[in-house]
Amino acid sequence: MTEHFIDIAYKSVNKVNEVLCGDTVEVVRENDKTILVLADGLGSGVKANILSTMTCKIASTMLKEGESVLETIDTIMHTLPVCKVRNLAYSTFAIIDISNDGLCNIIEYDNPPVFILRNNHLLELKKETMIYEDKKVFLTSFQMELGDQLVVVSDGVIHAGVGGIMNLGWQWEHVADFLKKESRLYKSAERIATALLDACNILYDFKPGDDTTVASIILRAPETVDLFSGPPENSAGDADFVRQFVQSPGKKVVCGGTASNIVAKNLNTEVETSLDYLTPDIPPIGHIKGIDLVTEGVLTLSKSVELIRRYRHQEHINLNAQDGATRLSKLLIEDCTHINFWIGSAINPAHQNPDFPSTLSIKRSILNELIQLLQQLGKVIHIHYI
Amino acid sequence: MLVKICIGSACHLKGSYDIINYLKEKIAQEHLEDQIILKASFCLGKCSEAVSVQIDDHPVTSVSPETVEHFFNTVIKESLIQ
Repeated sequence: MTEHFIDIAYKSVNKVNEVLCGDTVEVVRENDKTILVLADGLGSGVKANILSTMTCKIASTMLKEGESVLETIDTIMHTLPVCKVRNLAYSTFAIIDISNDGLCNIIEYDNPPVFILRNNHLLELKKETMIYEDKKVFLTSFQMELGDQLVVVSDGVIHAGVGGIMNLGWQWEHVADFLKKESRLYKSAERIATALLDACNILYDFKPGDDTTVASIILRAPETVDLFSGPPENSAGDADFVRQFVQSPGKKVVCGGTASNIVAKNLNTEVETSLDYLTPDIPPIGHIKGIDLVTEGVLTLSKSVELIRRYRHQEHINLNAQDGATRLSKLLIEDCTHINFWIGSAINPAHQNPDFPSTLSIKRSILNELIQLLQQLGKVIHIHYI
Repeated sequence: MLVKICIGSACHLKGSYDIINYLKEKIAQEHLEDQIILKASFCLGKCSEAVSVQIDDHPVTSVSPETVEHFFNTVIKESLIQ
C-alpha cells in the first residue's frame, strides 16, 4: 500500500445539563496498527461515562496486545458493573482496527452501523455475524484505499432532533446522505467530524437529548508543512538552512519579519508586502516567490493559537478569511498531516526591551502552545531548533 | 520617492497601522500619489526603535503616531523638494 496517514478526529456534545459524556472515544496508535474504539454507555451522566470508559479501555488495550475479538468482548461483558435499575451491564461499541497496510477490521455491537465512504459513495460491505450470549456482533473486514472515510457515531447522532423539530429524528440514511455531500467538500477528518456534530447540534436546537459523538477517520496521503520562524542562532548557517528549507517537499511557511528577510535574501529576491490591513490587529502578509505563506511573527502566531484553540472548542471560526492568522490556521488544521517546525534561537533585541508589551517576548511559549494544540489535533510534529 | 514602513511585530505594536493610514490620507489630500510610493516592509532591522520608516536609501528613522505629522511635514516634504 502506498504511503498514507490515518487522519482521525472525534468530538462529542453532552446531553443537555450533563457535565460528563456517556460516550467515550479511545484512539491507540501503534507502530503496526491504529485502533479506535467508540463506546456509548447505558444511560447518561456518571454511570454511562464509567461504562463507556471501561469498555474503551478494555477493548483498546486487549486488541493492542493482540487478544482475539471474542476474548475481548467476553472480558468487557464480565467486567462492566451491572446497572441496578435495568439489571444490565451494557455499553454499545464500535471498534475500528486499521493495520499499516490498510487492512481495516470493524467490530460492531449494537451501535449505529459505521459509515464507510469511498469516492463520496457509501460502500456496502458484507458483514459477518457472530453470536455472543444471544447478542449479535458484526464483523467487517476490507482493504482500505487512499481517500476512504469511516465515520463512527453514537446513537445521539441518529436520533438528533427526535421529538423536537423532527418526529423520528435524523435517520441513518439521512446522515449517510449528509456525509456523502460533506465528504466532497472537506478532506480532513477534523472538518468532517465538526460538520456532522454541528448539524446534530442544530437539529437538537443546541439542547441535545442524548450524548452525541462523531469519530471520523480518513486514509489520507501524507501532506507536510514546513514552518520556519525566528532567525537561526548562528547567521553563518543561514544560506545552508534556506537551501534545505526550500528543497523540502511540503508546503512552506515563514513566520516573522527577520526570518522572511533571511529567506528572501538567500533566494536572491525580496519580500513583497502589502499595505492593506485586512484587520487592524494582524499585520498584512508578505510574499516571497516559492514560499506558500509569509506572515509577521509573534502577533500572527498568537492569533492563530487563539483561533485553533477556539476551533478545538467547537466554536465557529471562519477559516476562509484572508488575514495571515486565519490563513496559517487553515493550513495547519486542514491542509496537512505532518508539520516540521524550524525554530531559530537568535534573540531579537526588540523582544528584550522592557518598554515593549510582554506579548513580544513570549514567542517561544506561543510556539510551544501551538505545537501542543496541533498534536491534540492528531498532527505528526517534528521540531528542529536551529 | 519610496517610503517604506515596517509592519514587523514590534513596529506593528508601536503603531504601523496608524502611521500608514495617516500617510495614505495625507498623500491623497495633497495629491502626491505620483511622487510618493508607500510600501510596507517586513523588518527594517531596527526593532528596538519602532516604528521604523525608511525613505529611499536613507538611514532608517524612528517615527511614532505622535510624531508622524511632524515627520510628514518636515522630512518627507524636504526630501521631495530636493
